Amino acid sequence: MSGKQYYRPGNLEQCLDFLAENGRESVLLAGGTDVMVDMRAGEIDKSWIVDISRLPELWGIELQNGKLWIGAAVTLTELLNSKLLQEHGFALHTAALHFAARQIRNVATIGGNVAHCSPSADTLPPLLVHEAEALLAGPCARRRIPVGEVAAGTYRSALEPRELIIGFELRPRSPFLADFQKIGRRRELVIARVNMAGLADMDEDQRMTGVRFALGSCTPVPRRFADVEALLEGSRPGRELFWEAGRLAAENMIRMSGRRPSFVYKEKAVQGLVYRMFSPLLEA
Amino acid sequence: MQGNEQGLVDISITLNGREQKVAVPADMSALKLIREVLGLKGTKEGCSIGECGACTILVDRQAVNACLVFAPQLDGKDVQTIEGLNREPRFQALQQAFLDRHAVQCGFCTPGLLISVYALLLEEPCPDRDEVIRSIAGNLCRCTGYHQILSGVDRAINPDAEWRPDVG
Ligand code: FES
Ligand code: FES
Repeated sequence: MSGKQYYRPGNLEQCLDFLAENGRESVLLAGGTDVMVDMRAGEIDKSWIVDISRLPELWGIELQNGKLWIGAAVTLTELLNSKLLQEHGFALHTAALHFAARQIRNVATIGGNVAHCSPSADTLPPLLVHEAEALLAGPCARRRIPVGEVAAGTYRSALEPRELIIGFELRPRSPFLADFQKIGRRRELVIARVNMAGLADMDEDQRMTGVRFALGSCTPVPRRFADVEALLEGSRPGRELFWEAGRLAAENMIRMSGRRPSFVYKEKAVQGLVYRMFSPLLEA
Repeated sequence: MQGNEQGLVDISITLNGREQKVAVPADMSALKLIREVLGLKGTKEGCSIGECGACTILVDRQAVNACLVFAPQLDGKDVQTIEGLNREPRFQALQQAFLDRHAVQCGFCTPGLLISVYALLLEEPCPDRDEVIRSIAGNLCRCTGYHQILSGVDRAINPDAEWRPDVG
């Protein structure tokens, strides 16, 4: 016997009470697809498995107070089936479309994908371009942090052991261009080697506005690149401009992560993918 | 809910239409429960890390990888494996279509593939080829080749379907 124990709280309050006592010895389970693999590999050594997938406080996709709420226990399949998300968070919807395989999408959750703190988490770049905040619940208080700050580093969470993510609030946008791009070794079911999301509107003068760009898999933690956004903001779409934006993104990646063997490939891949993502604007 | 005195978790599932109670270790996978505790060996173990789809089962009529689900997560759920689906006429028709189009060679991937396709057909009785390809993207077959498999699915959807050698 492994000596592991399972606990499934019936509501958030029970869950928080439990974590207040046992948070340090607990691993949270939402879909479980990452936890299972990590546990079998011996990378998780906690005595309690706390199943939060049935907490009603973690469910639902809704527009409320001008924000798009997505519960942490929402599965990738639910994201994919959501009309609201298609309308107000298309880049995230596209990421869900390319996320792993159907058997995994049916179980894996958005909260788990973020909390796992993998640099290549596919939901992260879209959440970043939607300026999402993670809503956290702890024993004494609730707080909200920018979604990019959930990870303190690669596979390292900034959350306290007694806290959990209950959901995300996104800035809803339905811009002219909203996209997610990814490169991996196989078309489906791959861990991204490069992934990214972008948003852009066009004003009446055919200039780009509200440009957002985030890159994943290339830096320890996925992030928005302000200088790439600034380069594009207010400019007219152009081939050279997009090529330059891609070069800038690749340069940032190297500056932040140091030169790595894989970057011979990734430098070109990032540049090409940025170009491909924004290129529909050339015909705008 | 929480573990019992022996440190096991008491769960109750509807397995292939029959309610069943069983006590499982907290970190046991659904795959191990099905194969080793309940003795249903039709669900296969390939990679154990969610990459091959050999372990695909239906949980509340959705395809999932049994190797990635903790057994206690199944509590209160409706679970179907190849042994139960075998008895359903629509599933049998799908199996026959696979046979007709030589979509089975060693057969190791077959239960998982059939269940993935069946899950799609439950939602969408007449899927197009792209949808079929997407639904089985998580199922690897290392010997038959996907032409025959897709052709088998074509035939299940439409018994008069011609053999189509092209794969999207
Ligand atoms: S054994 Fe579960 S996906 Fe391979
Ligand atoms: S028939 Fe052998 S793996 Fe598919």
